[in-house]
Amino acid sequence: MASKHTSRDINPAIGAMMRQARDFLAHEHSLFASLNIEPLLIGRGKTSFGVDLPTDFAGPDGKVHSTLLTIILDSMLGITVFTALEKLTPIATVNLRTDYLNTADAGARAVFSATCLDVSNEIARVSGELRLEEGDALLAVGSGAFMVGTRGATAGSRL
Amino acid sequence: MSKARDALLASPIAQWLDVSADGEDACHLSFHERHIGNPAIRAIHGGVVEAFLEVTAQCALSAATDADTLPQTVNADIDYLRSSRAEDMHARAKVTRLGRRVAFVEAEAWQQDEAAPVAVARFRLHTPS
Repeated sequence: MASKHTSRDINPAIGAMMRQARDFLAHEHSLFASLNIEPLLIGRGKTSFGVDLPTDFAGPDGKVHSTLLTIILDSMLGITVFTALEKLTPIATVNLRTDYLNTADAGARAVFSATCLDVSNEIARVSGELRLEEGDALLAVGSGAFMVGTRGATAGSRL
Repeated sequence: MSKARDALLASPIAQWLDVSADGEDACHLSFHERHIGNPAIRAIHGGVVEAFLEVTAQCALSAATDADTLPQTVNADIDYLRSSRAEDMHARAKVTRLGRRVAFVEAEAWQQDEAAPVAVARFRLHTPS
């Protein structure tokens, strides 16, 4: 018997896209390749990834600069939104809020986890956090709103 | 120019972003391919835009306080108003309130037209001592 797609599964087309994206990002995209991203959990509306905090993103004190945490949050929150969608469609960040709680040594490894809270009225709302892999210290929490079904860059507007 | 601002602009994150100062309260981002988020639309990654704005905000606050140490960001809130293009970006920051312990900074980024910003952001930072 063929398996039936349920509301708890990731849409198969989105799953296939994410596998292609994973291979591209891991090997051909310099920013994401440098983060050495490892999927730990990918479910419908829920994700977790291991991620490097490279020395290329250190601040003047040798600690990871806070902005790397936002770069990771923006990327991973977007991926989390994809896992919650019913069909494959472009998305764009509308708003992102990040709270920085602790610093990390450059070169450390962190664990990102997120939940897509809601997708309605063409807006997805998602929240997530970054913790140090060793010691579990909370580095940053973030929440974002993403437009679902954007018109793309050629239209000159994200909205 | 403050020591903190000098140190930030010489740090690895500023080198990776390729940010340079453009006056006391403004910075310039030189575009590189590594800044691209989604290659299908060739827009600068939203996190990179935020990073550029946050560095600009830290530079502006460091200059305003003549700080020796980099002001640490408490939190950041950014609105993405338009898609960015694969080209250089500019940003300007304004310290809206300099408290004894916390400072509030607003910043906006644009590319070809300052009147059409691609993003605006608000930052709360620890006031440097």
